[in-house]
Amino acid sequence: MNLSEKFPLLCAIGILFGVGFGFFVQRAGLCFAHGLGEIFIGRGKRILRLFLVIFILTSIGFLLSGYIYEWLGLDSTKVGLKPIGQIRGYGFYNVLSGILFGAGILLNGGCILGTLRQIGEGNLLFLVVFVSFIPGMAVVVYGLNPWLEGRKADVIQNALLPGLAGVQAAYVTGVLVVLGWIWFYFVRRKTNGSLKG
Amino acid sequence: MKLKEFIKKPTFLVGCFAVLNVAMYLLIQKFWIGGSSFLPMVGKLGKPGAPNAFLFAFLVNMGVILGAFLGATVSKEFRLRAPRLKSIPKAVLGGILIGMGVTVCPGTCTTAFVTGMPMLSVSSFLSAAGIFIGGYITYKLTMGRCSR
Repeated sequence: MNLSEKFPLLCAIGILFGVGFGFFVQRAGLCFAHGLGEIFIGRGKRILRLFLVIFILTSIGFLLSGYIYEWLGLDSTKVGLKPIGQIRGYGFYNVLSGILFGAGILLNGGCILGTLRQIGEGNLLFLVVFVSFIPGMAVVVYGLNPWLEGRKADVIQNALLPGLAGVQAAYVTGVLVVLGWIWFYFVRRKTNGSLKG
Repeated sequence: MKLKEFIKKPTFLVGCFAVLNVAMYLLIQKFWIGGSSFLPMVGKLGKPGAPNAFLFAFLVNMGVILGAFLGATVSKEFRLRAPRLKSIPKAVLGGILIGMGVTVCPGTCTTAFVTGMPMLSVSSFLSAAGIFIGGYITYKLTMGRCSR
């Protein structure tokens, strides 16, 4: 069944997944903005540990998902590794976007997940943050984007590390996951040592 | 370590988040995205070919709020907190910057950390570098006096 053709059902499933995401994020107290602040004051081990867990599990999961679909005899092209942020390829815009976003989250103390979590926890300040997204997005959508429209000739689409390196995704993911695991081990050991239990 | 303690650990809980993200990808070929999901708030529901993509992501994130509410209620952490007046300008400015950042290059904010980098997307690694640069500059300018 192609769920894209049954949009209301797709949305209902999506909301259920969203509830799950929100529950786990709330219970874990995950917020990359808070974590970024911790890194800058030299206490970034907690967020680093959480990020590495997400990175390792999600990397393996996304890599395996393609194989699982093939194993099930389904059309694996539908679940091909889709690049993120390919609207304007990679390069200057990604860094610019990151700088603006990084500045914003440090100012108000909440990344996207953190903002949604805080709203769910009843912190109305983050409702103000949430509503303030609107003028920022409108400036870009209706002001900057039309201006940039004709300046996207050098856009490179579908930019994935394996493609750039000229090797299969499994090798890149494998190396990064192993490095991530080693890093996680040392971060965890250091944290346990410093907390002593 | 007892199971009851283990399932309360943040590492286990973010692990569940990651597994859920992969499960969503496997089941309905969608994954969690952050910033660009809010584009319906300025009238953008999706790109050509995927006209409701942003709307779907927006609804997922409304589910995130609901899930956080459930989590906070279950753990008795839910508390309505009105914002202090002096915090509002910083929140508004931060929100506007986030809004601009997520729209300049959709899919490259929190998404970079939880979905983009595990997908080996070059743009997400660049965005993460930008987030560190922007965050560090802001941290230096504000001397680390964040609202949290």
